[in-house]
Amino acid sequence: MAVLELPEWMALAPALLLAGTALVLFLLDSINPRSTNRTLFAGVAVLGSLSSLAVAVWFTAAGVGATGIENYGVIDLMGGQFIVDQLALYFMIIIAIVTALVTVASHDYLRDHTYQAEYYSLILLAATGMSMMAASNSLVTIFIALELTSLPSYALVAILKDNRGSVEAGLKYFLIGALSSAIFVYGVSLVYGATGSLQLEDIATNLDVAGEMGGLLGLGILMLIGGIAFKTASVPFHFWAPEAYEGAPAPISAFLSSASKAAGFVLAFRVFTTAFPVAATTEVIGVDWTLAFVILAIVTMTVGNFAAATQENVKRMLAYSSIGHAGYVLIGLAALSAEGGELVMGAAMMHLLVYGFMNTGAFLFVALAEYWGVGRTFEDYNGLSKQAPFACAAMAVFMFSLAGVPPFGGFWSKYLLYTQTINAAADNTILLVLAAALVVNSALSLYYYSRLVKALWIEEPILERDRLAQPTGLYAAIIAAAVLTVVVLPAFGPVADAALEAAAAVVA
Amino acid sequence: MAATATGPFGFAPAIAVFPLVAFVITLLFGRHLPKKGALPGIIATAGSLLVSLVMVAAVAGGNAHHTELYEWTAGAAMSETGAETISFSFGVLIDPLSALMLVIVSTVALLVHVFSLGYMNAEGETGLPRYYAELGLFTFSMLAFVFADNLLMAFMFFELVGLCSYLLIGFWFRTKSAPSAAKKAFLVTRFGDYFFLVGVVAIAATFGTVGFAGEESFVTAAETAIDNGTTLFGFDAETWVTITGLLVLGGVLGKSAQFPFHTWLPDAMEGPTTVSALIHAATMVAAGVYLVARMFGYYALSPTALAIIAFVGGFTALFAATMAVVKDDIKQVLAYSTISQYGYMMLGLGVGGYVAGVFHLMNHAFFKALLFLGAGAVIILMHHEQDMWKMGGLKDKAPVVYYTFLAGALALAGIVPFSGFWSKDEVLFDALAVGLEQPVILAAYAMGLIAVFFTGFYTFRMVFLTFHGEPRSETAEEPHAVGWAVKVPLIALGTLAAVAGFANLAPVANLLGADITFLEFWLDGEYGYVEGLTYHAYHETVAFEEGYIGSETTTMLLSAGLSLGLALAGAFTAHTLYNVPEPARHTRKLGGAYRVLKRNYYQDEYQVWLAEGLTLPLARAADRFDQTVIDGVVNGTSRISLSGSNAVKRLQTGIVTNYAALLVGGFIGLLLVLGYIGGWFA
Repeated sequence: MAVLELPEWMALAPALLLAGTALVLFLLDSINPRSTNRTLFAGVAVLGSLSSLAVAVWFTAAGVGATGIENYGVIDLMGGQFIVDQLALYFMIIIAIVTALVTVASHDYLRDHTYQAEYYSLILLAATGMSMMAASNSLVTIFIALELTSLPSYALVAILKDNRGSVEAGLKYFLIGALSSAIFVYGVSLVYGATGSLQLEDIATNLDVAGEMGGLLGLGILMLIGGIAFKTASVPFHFWAPEAYEGAPAPISAFLSSASKAAGFVLAFRVFTTAFPVAATTEVIGVDWTLAFVILAIVTMTVGNFAAATQENVKRMLAYSSIGHAGYVLIGLAALSAEGGELVMGAAMMHLLVYGFMNTGAFLFVALAEYWGVGRTFEDYNGLSKQAPFACAAMAVFMFSLAGVPPFGGFWSKYLLYTQTINAAADNTILLVLAAALVVNSALSLYYYSRLVKALWIEEPILERDRLAQPTGLYAAIIAAAVLTVVVLPAFGPVADAALEAAAAVVA
Repeated sequence: MAATATGPFGFAPAIAVFPLVAFVITLLFGRHLPKKGALPGIIATAGSLLVSLVMVAAVAGGNAHHTELYEWTAGAAMSETGAETISFSFGVLIDPLSALMLVIVSTVALLVHVFSLGYMNAEGETGLPRYYAELGLFTFSMLAFVFADNLLMAFMFFELVGLCSYLLIGFWFRTKSAPSAAKKAFLVTRFGDYFFLVGVVAIAATFGTVGFAGEESFVTAAETAIDNGTTLFGFDAETWVTITGLLVLGGVLGKSAQFPFHTWLPDAMEGPTTVSALIHAATMVAAGVYLVARMFGYYALSPTALAIIAFVGGFTALFAATMAVVKDDIKQVLAYSTISQYGYMMLGLGVGGYVAGVFHLMNHAFFKALLFLGAGAVIILMHHEQDMWKMGGLKDKAPVVYYTFLAGALALAGIVPFSGFWSKDEVLFDALAVGLEQPVILAAYAMGLIAVFFTGFYTFRMVFLTFHGEPRSETAEEPHAVGWAVKVPLIALGTLAAVAGFANLAPVANLLGADITFLEFWLDGEYGYVEGLTYHAYHETVAFEEGYIGSETTTMLLSAGLSLGLALAGAFTAHTLYNVPEPARHTRKLGGAYRVLKRNYYQDEYQVWLAEGLTLPLARAADRFDQTVIDGVVNGTSRISLSGSNAVKRLQTGIVTNYAALLVGGFIGLLLVLGYIGGWFA
């Protein structure tokens, strides 16, 4: 492994490769603006995301971020503005995988679309932003990465220009996004005002300087939480999600609900473990900020799952389920003040990884259904298994995995999250409430997930359908996601270690 | 001597495997086999008998055998006596007791199979492959139960025995009464087995072992616990042994049809008579008493448990004998006699008379199988008529059946020198000896003694009504002929019923001072034995004192004379009343007592009341609780969830200004909560 011989800035290669691919796509589009050679564009995009994935995996394997003589340790860039450690690489991997799956699936989904190159370059730019978010180590770079993610996302949601739903969703997303960004950036300014620094480690060292401005700092932290809650679609910053996911092209829904959410969470993990260590911050602001996450987690889980329970539209159900899952992952932040909290956070990170496969897969199945034009409600999906058994089997895997039914990946990550929360509850009893909420909501979620499986496999179709096409790209992406959902289980040893190590490294 | 696996003992599992193979073969191919599957069964049981005899020979040669065949689970355990591991396994224990029982069971099973050729095949029954397959499974279960080396294995085969008798009692499942009788047998014995299972768990949890024999057995562990004065689950060790012993006894009382679980047995007559013979003589009912004998060392530790066994036994002996007096159906008389005779065995074991109890078990197996098969022959003769009042005069028309049946009757009534006399006398003598020191046992003895009179009476009432006098129906005048398949088993069993008593002529031995109590030597480890499982060892453990009137010999003679006299008196009374050309229904003269006896002391009625008057309302209440409260909570949960879902869904109005307001409102709410706790507004 020759990582050492590379210049230091190359540590950001996973993000830079995505950015470069976006530029290549722009270049191709400038050469021939009217080209709709979707195979070329999709191919380039897939290649770019896969190479980003490969580099991130290589770095992880080579030991970037890991301690020890043979490893390279954490790589600091630009005076601590960026940092490449295990946490960053772990999330770069998740983002690259989701991007690859989404771009593969988009090849078929966008078959009659005019703006091919724009679409892929926007996806890759957003992915670049997400990758940068994973590595950002200062509130400035974080904000820039955040906006780099958000702006292409707004455009992507509204990219079906002739579709009213898509345009309306894009606008709503943009408005809520603008409000949230404003809140976030105001929070940044308050934190800067209180501590006099933007770099995360410096904030931590300057916490005692805040002194009398504890309330101000607290308000700033709360506003940062607000901005992050927007990105992760957590209640009450979630209002954009159901409509954006529903209106957007289904691959974009998959992209936003998996990759964008993961990026939001890495931000949260990074900021709150590095800049605001629980004990030191509590001394200054007078309250344990994990309490905010406890409240957010419970409300998010409950609102997401309860709203999902009686939805008639499949995509909207998935949108709410994705809000519910954000609630589960928030437990990882809520437990940080307790002993063993880093294990809970590791479990939450693992859940994000598995979620990246199963949720992306589920949205891609919806993309497939939209491709077929069978309709949007549960009833429209009735009896699809007779015509598309493989895709429906994959969908059943996604649904059961999302619900947390063994032996699929979703069960193991949720189970680990649950047991670690119970363990940590020995130190902080309020976590018991979270564990209980997790169980109750998972039970409820089984109801609406299995409703979809029932529609696919048990119900008789309402209308006679013609033979359904089998688009290669979409099928490949769905099957790949299903296989990954299942095999994450045998691969769980190394994955679990990676997540737990990464979590332990940032918490320590 | 140590139990080691040597020589012939390696074949021991084959004893049970043969009938199992026959079961499989008959089940799969029975329809295509000649005799509808009887032959595999006959060959298999003959093989079992042969190997069992080899086992007896090997034990007689001074060996015993205890080995583990298959361990299905083992692990760490927390037991009350401190054993840290527990393992559950299948094993074989061949000692004098089990070897003897193996021979008895396989002999009776073989003869029943042969007899079935005449009783089932010749009568053109349908469903014969099923019959023979179930018979094979039944034999397998019982044989495996007999050589089980631990309580759990015993329990499992005990249950299989119960299942098989359910299947066989309900053989004629198209009738109304047979399935009902089968269910009754299954449910009543299941009720007892419930306690047995609890007992098995209690013993395993207490001692960390369920083995019968050796240093690792729960018997040894219990003995150590009592010696050390250990406290087990808050009780002193002996009380706990009594409790667990009585729990296991629940299964025994159910299977051996002891009061108050005896009600299933008379109904079980709905099965084929051959099945009755097997159930009564060697398998189902015998399993209960055999279990007491098998773990006698455990009961011997608790005088309380023994006294309860003895009292229940004595009571059941008398109780059932009185009911047998008024029955008109030949099989019903035999059914109640079975209950009564098992009462004697319990009495014998309960007073510490291990040899006497086992002796009676053996004799009873032969003479009761004989009587049932004899009754089966009578039923063939009578074209499936079972009412004794329609019989009569069969003596001259079927001499073989008559004389063999008579041998069985003499044995049952306890007339010297037939086998039943010797064993019953020994039971009563042991009871008397202990009873002279223990008033409770004396009461049990008294009941057993009075039952002797009734036994003599009902036995000979049955004989006289069936075989003597003038024929009282057309079929009795021209009976159906019986074939060799019926006669051969009858003659074989008739001989055994007559001579089996010579295995243990205790009174004669005492008088002459001769060493002819062979069974006692056998069970006392004169030949092969397993340490701790001998009469000698048991006798030392049992805490009862024995008293005598005058000397031991005078007491013995007194006891023997008394019981023989009562038996003869009973037989003579029957002779006076019923051995006339045209017997009358004298039982009617009993008035109110007749009704009570005819209704079996209202035992069925009160058990039905227990089920319908008590359990059913309770079950209804539980059902209502389940339907309303439990289901209500469940349904309510889902209703609340779904309506909650509708409410939450309404948050999403579709209007973006609402979203912005809610977002900011939510944020301010969060700010207020945290700010208030953090004191930011101070």
